[in-house]
Amino acid sequence: MIALLARRARAQWPLLASLLAVLTIGATLLGTCALLVTRTSERAVEVAAARATADDVEVTAYTVEIPPGNARSVAADTREILAASIEPFPAALTTRASSVMRALPGDGREAYLSGVEGLSARSTLISGRWPRAAGDTSAGRPLEAAIFDNTARLLGLKVGSRIRLGAELTVDPAGPVTVTVVGLVHPLPDAGWDRDPLGGEGFDPDPSDAAFGRKMQAYGPFLVDLADLLASGSALDRLEVNARPDLADPKARDLDTLSASVLGADARLAAKLTGRVRVERVSSALPGTLAGARDQQELTAEAVLALALIGIVLTAIALALAGRLATGVRADESELLSALGTSRRQFAAAATVEALALAVLAVALAVPASAALHAALTRIPPLSGAGLAARPAVTGPQVLSVAGGALVLAVLLISLAVWPAASSGDRRSRRELLARSGADLLLVALAGVGWWQLTTQPAGAGTRADAVRVLAPALLLTAGTALALRLVPPALNRAERLAARTRGLVAPLATVQAARRPQAVAAGLLIGLGCAAATFGAAFDDTWHAAQHDQADLAVGTDLSVVLGAPPLTGQSTAVAAAVGGVVSPVAEHTVAVGQWLGGAGAAPRLLALDTRKAAAVLRGRGDWPSVAKPLIPATPVPGIALPRGFVPVISGTATDNAAVTVTPFLVLEDATGLRTACSGTAVPLDGHAYPVPGCVPDDGLRLVAVALPVSGVPGGWAAVSTVDVGLTVPGGATADKWGVKAASPESGQLSGTTVAIAGGRLRMTGTVKFAEPIAASRTFVATAFGNPGPVPIAISTRLAGDVSAQVGSKLSLTYGVTPVDAVVTEVVPAIPSAPGAAAAMADVDSLSRALISRGDLDSPVTAWWAGHPRADAAARVAGLHVGPTITRAGETERLTGSPLRASVPAVLRLLVAAAVVLLLGGVVLHVTCDVQLRALEVARLRGLGMSRRSIRRALLGEHAAVLLPLLVAGAAVGALATRVVAPLMIRSDTGGAPIPAAHAHWPWLTEGLLFGLLVAGTGLAVFAVVTVQARRADAAHLRVA
Amino acid sequence: MTAPILTVQGVHRTFGSGPAAVHALRDISFEVEPGTMVALVGRSGSGKTTLLNVIGGLDRPDEGAVTVDGVDVTALDEDGLSQLRRERVSYVFQTFGLIPVLSAAENVGVPLRLARAEPKERERRVELLLDLVGLSGHAAQRPGELSGGQQQRVAIARALAASPRLLIADEPTGQLDAETGLAVMALIRGIVESEGVTALVSTHDPVMMALADRVVRIADGQLVP
Repeated sequence: MIALLARRARAQWPLLASLLAVLTIGATLLGTCALLVTRTSERAVEVAAARATADDVEVTAYTVEIPPGNARSVAADTREILAASIEPFPAALTTRASSVMRALPGDGREAYLSGVEGLSARSTLISGRWPRAAGDTSAGRPLEAAIFDNTARLLGLKVGSRIRLGAELTVDPAGPVTVTVVGLVHPLPDAGWDRDPLGGEGFDPDPSDAAFGRKMQAYGPFLVDLADLLASGSALDRLEVNARPDLADPKARDLDTLSASVLGADARLAAKLTGRVRVERVSSALPGTLAGARDQQELTAEAVLALALIGIVLTAIALALAGRLATGVRADESELLSALGTSRRQFAAAATVEALALAVLAVALAVPASAALHAALTRIPPLSGAGLAARPAVTGPQVLSVAGGALVLAVLLISLAVWPAASSGDRRSRRELLARSGADLLLVALAGVGWWQLTTQPAGAGTRADAVRVLAPALLLTAGTALALRLVPPALNRAERLAARTRGLVAPLATVQAARRPQAVAAGLLIGLGCAAATFGAAFDDTWHAAQHDQADLAVGTDLSVVLGAPPLTGQSTAVAAAVGGVVSPVAEHTVAVGQWLGGAGAAPRLLALDTRKAAAVLRGRGDWPSVAKPLIPATPVPGIALPRGFVPVISGTATDNAAVTVTPFLVLEDATGLRTACSGTAVPLDGHAYPVPGCVPDDGLRLVAVALPVSGVPGGWAAVSTVDVGLTVPGGATADKWGVKAASPESGQLSGTTVAIAGGRLRMTGTVKFAEPIAASRTFVATAFGNPGPVPIAISTRLAGDVSAQVGSKLSLTYGVTPVDAVVTEVVPAIPSAPGAAAAMADVDSLSRALISRGDLDSPVTAWWAGHPRADAAARVAGLHVGPTITRAGETERLTGSPLRASVPAVLRLLVAAAVVLLLGGVVLHVTCDVQLRALEVARLRGLGMSRRSIRRALLGEHAAVLLPLLVAGAAVGALATRVVAPLMIRSDTGGAPIPAAHAHWPWLTEGLLFGLLVAGTGLAVFAVVTVQARRADAAHLRVA
Repeated sequence: MTAPILTVQGVHRTFGSGPAAVHALRDISFEVEPGTMVALVGRSGSGKTTLLNVIGGLDRPDEGAVTVDGVDVTALDEDGLSQLRRERVSYVFQTFGLIPVLSAAENVGVPLRLARAEPKERERRVELLLDLVGLSGHAAQRPGELSGGQQQRVAIARALAASPRLLIADEPTGQLDAETGLAVMALIRGIVESEGVTALVSTHDPVMMALADRVVRIADGQLVP
């Protein structure tokens, strides 16, 4: 038997080579996909971790209220716990600590000490030098300190000044300390000062945590050496240790260990510091970042498997065709062997030996081939761009996949040899027809179930690999092709009937052969599915990319977003606009409460406010934003009072009944981009004297649009009433046109009879003040250059509309921070830019600002800058401003499409398209070549009957064209249909949920046209070459064989 | 005296060259009268099929001339040879040579389609020929659904479809049992008589030879008396 097989192999080597080629292609495809979902996938997690931003990976331990004696030990233990949690990765640890407040000379003032590691990287030295360690602080040596320039200005300190900070404002205070100012510094933005007790502002006229509830003004920090602070005997209000692990070259296994270790660090720190601090906490985005990477890894693996499965099905069909053709070619030989007494078992044994030998050879070829193909794939975009380039390597999972795949395909080959198909020319038996119909129906039913499950999968589906999403595409394509094939024979039968009416032989012979030869139907599945898979792959690639673009557009909401690390400063807009270019808008993004509704867990409603006049240029994401924004635009602009650069307003006023009344002036200034910032002066008594409010107008183009005056004082009891008259100088020529004044909290009833007037270069406010409420905010005059703003028009998302049962015209009461804002709904839209899928609203930032100011909330709501059509280097230029992190639409798109964790999807799509084209063309060549062999004698006899070579060639070409072209067209139609009904359902967001906005099917006509042209041309070329040879060989030599 | 329908004059055909050369035909010359049935007799490998292929224009002699119905076959080009086979010469093959996907009627109609006959005329003639070979009731059946004898009768009907002057049958009974073979030869004999066709039939069965008007013997590529 072995000898027979060996001789047959020598004689039929081209046939065996084609079987081996198909087996090897399938096994290589499997091996490559196995490498993509294992080796590349793991590498992707590592690269993603290495590329993660500092915020995503740093680990911070917070400790609060540390008694004086514990400061050093708490700091040391916290650092130790954190360092151990980061192992085996090296980490840079930085510590910062702030003392509790200490009394400053003079009533109602307090200050604090801070020790910050890396101070020189977080601030710029303006004058003097950096503070040095004082060493032995117990000896009473003064501490060296640096202070912010504005703190120095407000306290009247300079380099060389010495100041005594009084006892701590706690129940068990430590004694005073003396500090010497050795340097003046200016805090750098985005350098961690947001974690300073005063947010890096250097001064707070009304700190929320003022000791003992007294009216205090807070100053600081006094930046001393950290070791000095820890040894100074001061109680610490807070101590933070930050660890930034170095993940430059991580191993996925170590990352999992790191994640688990960080998750347990909180408990370990609590156990270590028990009793020594009031609160301790370890916080980090690292475990979430790594878990997100793992989730994404699973999602990508699922998509890769789904696409690989299409390739495997295609390979199996190609092999089935090859096997069937092989048995057809060997039909005479099998008949002879059977006549000689060869049993079915012996046939099966021979087929098994041959198939296993082919499988072993295929494995031997496919293992290095898949390693090389995988390495090549990783060296071209998108994998190369994602940093996933890899050398060829052989892994266990890859070998197992290749061997398993080859074995399964070998079993298929054996079954085809044992149960050969009917020979050509035979009519299909009823049983065969029923079996095929049953198989088709089963396929269609399974595909229907798959499609139904895809359509009903929940929008928030998780990231676990879903068998339906893996199987459904292959099932749907196969079932679609099988159904399409059902349409081809009737069409060919019709063509045959039409051709039969003609006189000649060429057309009838071509159509009869096409319609009646069973091999044509068998090859049809491969050709149809190959074309369907290739066109689907190309269209899915386009659809997937378009969906990622759509998601990125809506997620960012604009071309470039600069998220501010601190409230915007006056004049910032000029710098940002110059750096960014294009169209720039200030943006407020904040969570809000709607009435009493705060949203579900982790899903607080959000409000986005921007300059809606620029919506067309700034907003991105699917939607007609200009028309949505149009009703949100304020009816009239705010004129305000233009202030020249360097202008210093002077405030003065009086209060009746000799009351010791003070007011703290707040000026709201608007720049050319619409950014409004508040500038405050110190509290001034209304004693008739003039007090300047310096430093408020640093730039040209600023306009005064509002003035707020909180009134404080204890004029002799809660029932006292005083009439105040306050004036603020403004440039001459200003008028009171459109200016109005009201109480910020009219409901408190502490302010009445308010008036505002502008005359003689003075903005004058008067009113009657009651002092029954202890909070100054209840007695705040707010004079504005715009009248009553009324409800803020907003567009809301469908989700918010559903959550609060709102519709167009509904009036909503929002709470922005702590300030109530009335709003009215103008439109309900599917989603709000930058808040896809969220309960969110969009408003005009000017309208929002007016509403907030009129309620006495003068803090700028602006949290970001958005830019449309920015310059190419905008992100780099903005980074130089140190105002906050930058997010770009292009960057988000790149993250979604080209990130290491997602790049395998487009890569495997290209692999699928290439494999489908190769298998299709290979199948065509195989089919036509075997046809040549099977029908050589028949063609020679046609020559014997007087048919010319030309006519034979025409008949054969016509026959193959009649089969192949409809199959290619049907395959393309199935591909298009699958793209429309399946592709959008297969696409998930990076968190595993349904993408927002929903994915739409894309059919890239140019690509598909080129692909279809390639398939037609390739098929035509193969057929033409083989048919030409076949017609040339049709001579007496073949007749002699008969 | 009527002119011969077939004249073979000094035909040589050699396959290969040098010491391995096989001289399939050596100086073959004979004539066949029209309306006769000639049996070409010889052992396997004697050169019967080669001679028939040369006469039918499927092969070309290295030397000599073949004239069929006044046409010098050796002087024809590819198209001329195709025309010769369409109009003057028909083949009946040992293995029947039917096209498996065509029905019996469609197989018979192939030469008529090659001759671009009117569809109605084609259908009429196909019906007539199937009736002639006794297969009227099997017109729609495909070759795989017919017995060997039936298939050969379809092949004969097909060979007669274009009204050839010369019918060449290469061992038409080779794959048939003796009884069926005899029936087929009798059919050819009857057709020669009824249709006036000339038949050149190769065989090595003495029983078949008895039905022929004349026997031409060939051995080792040469005619023998």
